[in-house]
Amino acid sequence: MNDAVVIIPALNEEKTVAAVVNSILCAVPAVDIVVVSDGSTDRTVQEARAAGAFVISLSVNLGIGGAVQTGYRYAKERGYQYAIQIDADGQHDPADLPRLLEEARQGRGDMILGSRYVERTAYRSSRSRRMGMILLSTLVRLAVGYPIKDTTSGYRVVNRRIIELFSSYYPFDYPEVEVLVLLHRNRMTIHEVAVQMKERQAGVSSINVRKSVYYMVKVTLAVGLELLRKRAIEED
Amino acid sequence: MNIYILGIAFSLVFLFTVVDLMRRRVLMEQYSLLWLGMGVVILLLSIFPQWLNGVAVAVGIYYAPSLLFLIGFLFMLGTMLHLTVVLSRLTKRTVRLVQEIAILKAELADGNHTHPDGTDKTD
Repeated sequence: MNDAVVIIPALNEEKTVAAVVNSILCAVPAVDIVVVSDGSTDRTVQEARAAGAFVISLSVNLGIGGAVQTGYRYAKERGYQYAIQIDADGQHDPADLPRLLEEARQGRGDMILGSRYVERTAYRSSRSRRMGMILLSTLVRLAVGYPIKDTTSGYRVVNRRIIELFSSYYPFDYPEVEVLVLLHRNRMTIHEVAVQMKERQAGVSSINVRKSVYYMVKVTLAVGLELLRKRAIEED
Repeated sequence: MNIYILGIAFSLVFLFTVVDLMRRRVLMEQYSLLWLGMGVVILLLSIFPQWLNGVAVAVGIYYAPSLLFLIGFLFMLGTMLHLTVVLSRLTKRTVRLVQEIAILKAELADGNHTHPDGTDKTD
């Protein structure tokens, strides 16, 4: 058993999940991998298990937040010191992972965020998407007090303190932005590191055009509410 | 049968239904207080409709039945808010349960019940 665990939420990702698990194990052999299948109806569970991951299969679909939190609860229970999040759709390059993990081990921040925009990387996005990103960045900057370039990045390494925090509270849906404010309110530090982003290999983005308005409203509300809350998260 | 008798009859049936649900433990006590209170208020207003008029005049409402609608509306608003709070709490607990069960099942299937420090946590 290693001291770091990779949490991969997966919903019907049978085509890519094995490749993601393998690529992570190739890039960083010294990590454990837990795949949380969020009520998948295809062969995600079998594929992930065959690839060598520890698989937690949720019997009903809890949504991305509930699935990811399952991973953090497992990490807390098993005493992992670091938890890593990386998308199962192949968008994130595991080659960056050793670097992110090293930054976490050096204590550069409670959360190390893999960011698309810190330095120039190969990643390009559409105009409307960039507009949304800028809006979110502004919102987070107002809430947190310092700029975070890639507010919607789901590529991150967190330490034990944050594992425990996420075990008791994790945002329900669209967690990326809310997490940043949550961490800030709980006096956790966030450190951004540039990473490569690849085009999605399979599956669809959880944020499509139809949902983007709901997304913006939800995130704005969540950030606003987070600012109204007391700092400590009460155990539920 | 006039509306006066009908009102009293309705309130009694309502109260009886609530108490019966509580008796059969279909409705938990903590949620039934709200309905009991409502039943008592309806009953009292049916028996003493002049109370409604009195209150309406006192707060400056000229048409007394509209006060009744206001009270009913506010009560429904309160009840629904309370229900969504209860629903949220239930959702949170369900999520927790699903997560715990999934972790337990995964560990059971894995046959690995030891902590990283080597202690057995299945005791």
